[in-house]
Amino acid sequence: MRRASDTAIQSERSPAPRARGGSLFDAQFLQKLETLNLIARQMVRGRRAAMRQSIKKGSSIEFKDFREYSPGDDPRTVDWLAYARLGELYVKLFRQEEELDLWVLLDRSGSMDFGEPNKFDQARRIAAALAYIGMSNMDSASVIPFDSQLHPGVEKMRGKGGVLRLLKWLDELPIGGETDFEKTAQMFMGRVRRPGIVVVVSDFYGLQKARAGLDRLRFMKHQMHVVQMVSPWERNPPLRGELKLVDSETGMQQNLTITDSMLKKYKVAFEGFAAELKKYSMGYSIGFDQADTDVEFDAFVRRVLQHGRLLA
Amino acid sequence: MTLLAPWALWFIAVAGGVVALYLLKIKRRTATVPVLDFWLALAGQTKVHSLFNRLKRLLSMLLWLMIVGCLILALGNPILSLGKIKPRAIAVVIDNSASMQAVEGTEEERETRLAQTKRALNEISKSRPVTDEWLVIEAGSEPRVVQAWTFDTKLVRKAGEAIKPFNGAGKLSASVELAGQLVAGKPDPCILVISDGAAGEVERLAAKDARVLQWPVGTTTDNVGIGHLAVRAHRQNGNYLALISVVNATDEKVEVPVALEVDGKSQSVEMVSVEPRSAGEKTVVIDAPNGGVLRASIDRKDALTLDNEAFAVLQPITPAVVWLVTDRESAFFFEQALGSMDPLVWAEESLTLTPGQYGAAVAALAKQVSAGSAGAGATGGALGEGPDGASHAIKKPDLVIFNGWVPPELPRVGRFVFVNAVPEEFAIAEAGALVMPQMHMAPRAHALTQHITLQGAGLAKAHKVTLKGPARVLAQSGEGSPLIFLVEQPERQALCVAFDVLESELPFRNAFPLLLRNAVSYMHEEAPSWLRAGYALGETVKPLRVVPAGVKEVDLAVQRDGKREDVKAPVVSGSFAFADTGRAGALRLVVGDEASFAAMNIGNADESRIGPVARAEDPHETLGLSKRWLGGMPWTLLACVAAIGVVFEWLTYHLRWTE
Repeated sequence: MRRASDTAIQSERSPAPRARGGSLFDAQFLQKLETLNLIARQMVRGRRAAMRQSIKKGSSIEFKDFREYSPGDDPRTVDWLAYARLGELYVKLFRQEEELDLWVLLDRSGSMDFGEPNKFDQARRIAAALAYIGMSNMDSASVIPFDSQLHPGVEKMRGKGGVLRLLKWLDELPIGGETDFEKTAQMFMGRVRRPGIVVVVSDFYGLQKARAGLDRLRFMKHQMHVVQMVSPWERNPPLRGELKLVDSETGMQQNLTITDSMLKKYKVAFEGFAAELKKYSMGYSIGFDQADTDVEFDAFVRRVLQHGRLLA
Repeated sequence: MTLLAPWALWFIAVAGGVVALYLLKIKRRTATVPVLDFWLALAGQTKVHSLFNRLKRLLSMLLWLMIVGCLILALGNPILSLGKIKPRAIAVVIDNSASMQAVEGTEEERETRLAQTKRALNEISKSRPVTDEWLVIEAGSEPRVVQAWTFDTKLVRKAGEAIKPFNGAGKLSASVELAGQLVAGKPDPCILVISDGAAGEVERLAAKDARVLQWPVGTTTDNVGIGHLAVRAHRQNGNYLALISVVNATDEKVEVPVALEVDGKSQSVEMVSVEPRSAGEKTVVIDAPNGGVLRASIDRKDALTLDNEAFAVLQPITPAVVWLVTDRESAFFFEQALGSMDPLVWAEESLTLTPGQYGAAVAALAKQVSAGSAGAGATGGALGEGPDGASHAIKKPDLVIFNGWVPPELPRVGRFVFVNAVPEEFAIAEAGALVMPQMHMAPRAHALTQHITLQGAGLAKAHKVTLKGPARVLAQSGEGSPLIFLVEQPERQALCVAFDVLESELPFRNAFPLLLRNAVSYMHEEAPSWLRAGYALGETVKPLRVVPAGVKEVDLAVQRDGKREDVKAPVVSGSFAFADTGRAGALRLVVGDEASFAAMNIGNADESRIGPVARAEDPHETLGLSKRWLGGMPWTLLACVAAIGVVFEWLTYHLRWTE
């Protein structure tokens, strides 16, 4: 095995990378977004309060507990009736009402630039749809791209007003680089400490590191959801004969003679990979959905909403 | 091993290409995949036999080299000659004569010997090295080179396929002679005659020339055919005699009916009995006063049908015009004798002249000829002044009888009988020198003395004759002086009787009228024909005489296969040519107002003798043809090995997953 030089590789992408000519999001896309938002709003109604309850004590009107007064406490919280009855100072504690944030971690590594329809294009549409729903129905929504590290994204957007900025940003989002989700999760932990809903949109190649990253996010009490992007090419690659295979992320090469028998083994291995990711997710109550690029994004998002896991 | 197509060795470059490809390794297509992890994991599963991994590519290369090698050898069409086959110059003589149309084989697979010949040529040309030089000669009506010297065996086979059957007798001998001239100076020459033997002719040719090798074709002997059909007019009887010769090529005695037709009307059916492998003949009298076309046929389904019919022409028998030149007193006896010769003598057109009238008749005839109305023949008629002073047509005499008188100038052309007078041109005669001689007949028979005897006849007196030139003495005196003799010259015939008939015993005998009858019959010259009586098939018909200048074309009527075809042949420089004589039949030619007839037949009884001749040696071995291997040429086996190699290589391909 060897690493190809930049100039040596006359890479024959299979299929060819998507042309970046036209806009990814058009008026029809926006209409679909609004439809999805209506569906999400109906499902969210009645659950919102529960979704916002926090274990923290705060300044809401809902009483939670008493504790002894300490110097520095706000005198307005002293329970004067208790003082009259018991002769000791107690302060009243109220339940903290927290904001509900949606974080969409979008994989922009080289392996996502694959398939027809393109995985990255489909992933961006899905990310846009989820963020829009989050902006409309939650307190904030953020989309953060990553490969081997986190890149600046669009964060803490509230209301529908920021949707055009989000779409423009997604449309211009570059792609490339290697994936290291463990490192990415580490960085995300350093930036976001308050638990929220984290949706990871990726192909999850390098499953070991991906699992390590998901473990870290789980540790931070985030409500996790993974969306695995899969293209038909990956399920059934049209490869046959004497080939020089090139890794789309690392540029590594491997000479291989691909036969029918070998293709069958590949398909078994690929399906096993997806199954293992699903099994892991279900084992830790992580929402799991597989997004085929040949399925319309709105159909996929609707299916995710109907399952209810994302907004539950 | 010898390659019949060594050009295939040029494809060895392909083997070099295979090696180069494997040395340079296979040019792989580059394909980008999302991640290599899956493929690396799969490739890792196969890396269990490192030695095999190293060998499998070499094995593949060796397999492909073997496949390419087998295919190259198969293309080269190898033969196992063990070095015996050397380049030769082979002149192929193909017999396409009538006998080669004999049908061989069973009911299901019937083919002519000519078709077998073409197959044989294919086989031979494919079984010899391409370094051989070939020449193909067709032995038809004339030897014909149908393919000049070439190394291209495809052209040889094409030329062989293009040869058409010829219904007549082939010119094998001339063809072999031509081939002998053409192979002279060539390396290791060979004259290969593909033939049924032509009744032993090929064997005779091979015995004379060591370069001649026969490739025998045909085995059947089932043929009975008409080998010869000839007709002669029997003028005295006014009918014809037909000679039928039937050839039996089978090994059994046959008795075959021969049907005879004249102008399509059945004449008779004659049974002819023929011994095995021989010919039987039969003479048949044909009564056809006006002549016609005689067709003889045998209704027998045998291998060769061409010789089951033959044609002959019955030329119309015309009576002779006789001029009798004599004095009035002696005329009666001769007139009575001539008058009894119907139909031999044309009484209406014959004349009795005195010596004085003879000159006037000759002058009148000459006038007619010069006027051109009578043409060159004797059949024309015109008004002339007869000896009696009346104007009527006179005909040129076929025979002139001079009794006791010889004209001062004897015509240079004609038939004459001199009685009691001898022209000085032929002999010196002393009048009355022999007294009371006795006649002695010549021991050798002659047509003129047929059925008569004059032996011992007494004469009052006779001329003593001394011959000046060659003459046939039919009777002589006891002293040896010719009494009756015949002088024959190219343009003239003269029968001389050197005594006065009326002063002898002859008027009291039938012999003299018979002698006259024989003379008229023998000396009557038919009108000259434009054609021969018969032509062999394939022979070009040309006129025997120069066609008059005024005739621009002649009419030909060909009667064959029960149909009549009319053809006009242009006359060029006094001649014409008719070459469509490939089938048997009868031919009628009209030049001006003259008609001539001819028959077209195979013309050679040997064509009916289709039985195979003895073969001294195996031509395969003599010609050095390759031995067959496993029922076919080795290239088939090599091709099979190559196919198996491809399958095996394909199977091993699935084991070559990675390097």
